[in-house]
Amino acid sequence: MSDDSVPLALPLLAAGTSEVTTLYRELRKPLLRYLVCLGLTSDEAQDVVQDAFLSLQRHLASDGTQENIRGWLFRVAHNQARNRQTSYHRRFSEPLDGEMDFLTDDATPEQAVLEKEKFRRLATGIRMLTESERECLLLRAGGLRYREIGEVLGIATSTVGDTVERAIKKLAEKCDV
Amino acid sequence: MCDVQPKLIAWLDRELSAEKAAGVERHIERCEECRSRQAAYEQVDETFDAYCDAVMAAKLRPRIPRWVPVLASAMVAAGALFLIFPRTRVEPPPVLTPTIAAASVPVPVFVQTPSAQEPAPRKTIRKRRVVAPMQVQAANWQPTETAVQIAIPAEAMFAPGAMPKGMNFIAELSIAPDGSVKQIRLRQ
Repeated sequence: MSDDSVPLALPLLAAGTSEVTTLYRELRKPLLRYLVCLGLTSDEAQDVVQDAFLSLQRHLASDGTQENIRGWLFRVAHNQARNRQTSYHRRFSEPLDGEMDFLTDDATPEQAVLEKEKFRRLATGIRMLTESERECLLLRAGGLRYREIGEVLGIATSTVGDTVERAIKKLAEKCDV
Repeated sequence: MCDVQPKLIAWLDRELSAEKAAGVERHIERCEECRSRQAAYEQVDETFDAYCDAVMAAKLRPRIPRWVPVLASAMVAAGALFLIFPRTRVEPPPVLTPTIAAASVPVPVFVQTPSAQEPAPRKTIRKRRVVAPMQVQAANWQPTETAVQIAIPAEAMFAPGAMPKGMNFIAELSIAPDGSVKQIRLRQ
């Protein structure tokens, strides 16, 4: 199945709500990236994304609010990921040192070495971050605004700003990126 | 550290109001340190984004089961061994098997009935050449030939001490292959 393909169950349930399909094509990849970076496996992340969009369809069918759908989807996915992580006692994804060869197949040997080293330093810095800082950075990388991040994590917008700033400075200063 | 630095990240994220953003932009134009910070933060953003993409690509790529390369290696090794050590053909020993002997059974019939209209199959002829000694032996076989000859001395026919004096002969008994007695002959 390609990245942008829509599972069979979704258009059937969302018949008449083509905006759900459009949202699926737009937000599936950012959601998957956020979930696997949180530590979920590929299968778990895809299950969570599927469940989140089914919940969105039910939410819209029951005349739920249509404001900030992106933040709503990330919040649902985040909560489901948290439940699964609690169930399996899983933490943030460890740096995939052994799998970086796959990522730099097309690069020259020098570029590959530099890229690996850069990722290694960043991974070291990510391990130093608090859970809240990691989540803020991941949601920010997913395109969410501070207000949306605050809604997902249940914290104030100003707190999000402070957390993001602290996390970026840690990565920049301690990891010398 | 100038007072604008804490606002740099929020400014990069477009989280400041228009008025505050304009003030930061004016400050950056004349502050070398803030421009350097801005570049560092943008570099962190770029690397973090690439790292997340890398993690996702690594986790979502289809994985090959561990047994696949093992099986492939074993098959390659087996193929190499097959090429290095070609199969040696084992020749059977030149011993007449029961099958060949059975195939030769019709031959005496063919020999004994030369008036048969149908010629012998070519395959049968070829087999006769292969097992020539057996064929010759089979062709000379005569059903009426004596199979067993037994010589019985006279003293074996009587109980000890019961044989009449002056009697001395040997009885030769010829038994045909079908079990019937062919000939009984007495000789001195």
